[in-house]
Amino acid sequence: MTCERIEELLSAYLEGGLSPAEKELVQGHLAVCPDCASLLALLEKTEKALAGFPELEVSPGLRARLAAIPERKKKFSFSFDFVLKPSLQPVFAAGAVFMTLLSFYLFNPDKRNIDRAIDQKIHSGYSQVEKLYAKAGSFTDRLGDTAENVFVSVKNWKIFGGNEDNPDKI
Amino acid sequence: MLVNAYSKRVFNLAYQFAGSYQEAEDLTQDIFLKLYSALSKYDFEKNFTAWLLTMAKNHLIDTYRKTKWEKAHRDEFDEQVPATGADRGPESGLAEEADRKLVWEGLNSLAPETRMAVILRDIQDKSYEEVAEILGLPLGTVKSRINRGRLQLARILKEKQQGGLP
Repeated sequence: MTCERIEELLSAYLEGGLSPAEKELVQGHLAVCPDCASLLALLEKTEKALAGFPELEVSPGLRARLAAIPERKKKFSFSFDFVLKPSLQPVFAAGAVFMTLLSFYLFNPDKRNIDRAIDQKIHSGYSQVEKLYAKAGSFTDRLGDTAENVFVSVKNWKIFGGNEDNPDKI
Repeated sequence: MLVNAYSKRVFNLAYQFAGSYQEAEDLTQDIFLKLYSALSKYDFEKNFTAWLLTMAKNHLIDTYRKTKWEKAHRDEFDEQVPATGADRGPESGLAEEADRKLVWEGLNSLAPETRMAVILRDIQDKSYEEVAEILGLPLGTVKSRINRGRLQLARILKEKQQGGLP
């Protein structure tokens, strides 16, 4: 077996992770290969050195900074949280439609004609409203007259003491 | 509280990977910022520690690729040690101490993925399965990567012991 193949097995050999056959193979090679035997010794030293690295404590300053992160995040996200509420989606949709129409109007090359058309629409709408208002006025007048006539006719019925034949004689 | 439970683990991982105390503090802060942003995406069926360490690993390696710390020197090994020196016990000999220094310096020579695998397995004492989960790699790949990293460190140790100290 080559040294390269043995090197691949050295960690597992140290950790006892080889099958008996592989273990025997490695031991046989180590007995005749001083380079691999030396490498194994160095590997043991390396692992021991790595395992001996001390665990450091977190400084109070860092601990305080880490503890402050959630509060900082809360403050930062406050102004944006409401934007993500699903209930506001129709408002954003309406806003988007409005902005689209507005940009269509503002950047249209035929803006003057659109202005004129809007003006005409507003004026015709206004005059229609005026007409409607006038009609409504005459309608209320007529309604008042009719109500008065009905009242007089009812008063002239005999059962109420009136004279049906001569309504002027009560 | 997340800070009490995980800050030491994340900080030590960052320190062992970057080799600089100041850099490790900044990196830990960045990792916790990411953690708080990503908490809503955490899948409760997953192992939280592995999930956090995967996030930490990704951040450390990404930052390494952007800044290339290997150009910078690692902190002197003794610089931060006195505070926890008692943990190593009285049997800690001078030769072992020297080996530790050389291996600490040698960590910067490893590729970031290999360095991370070796740190998780040999310094943080994770099982191969845990390392595979954190790195998101098959078990066989993790084992061979860790073996390769250890062999590289062993050769660096040999070179430096033979007087090849820079």
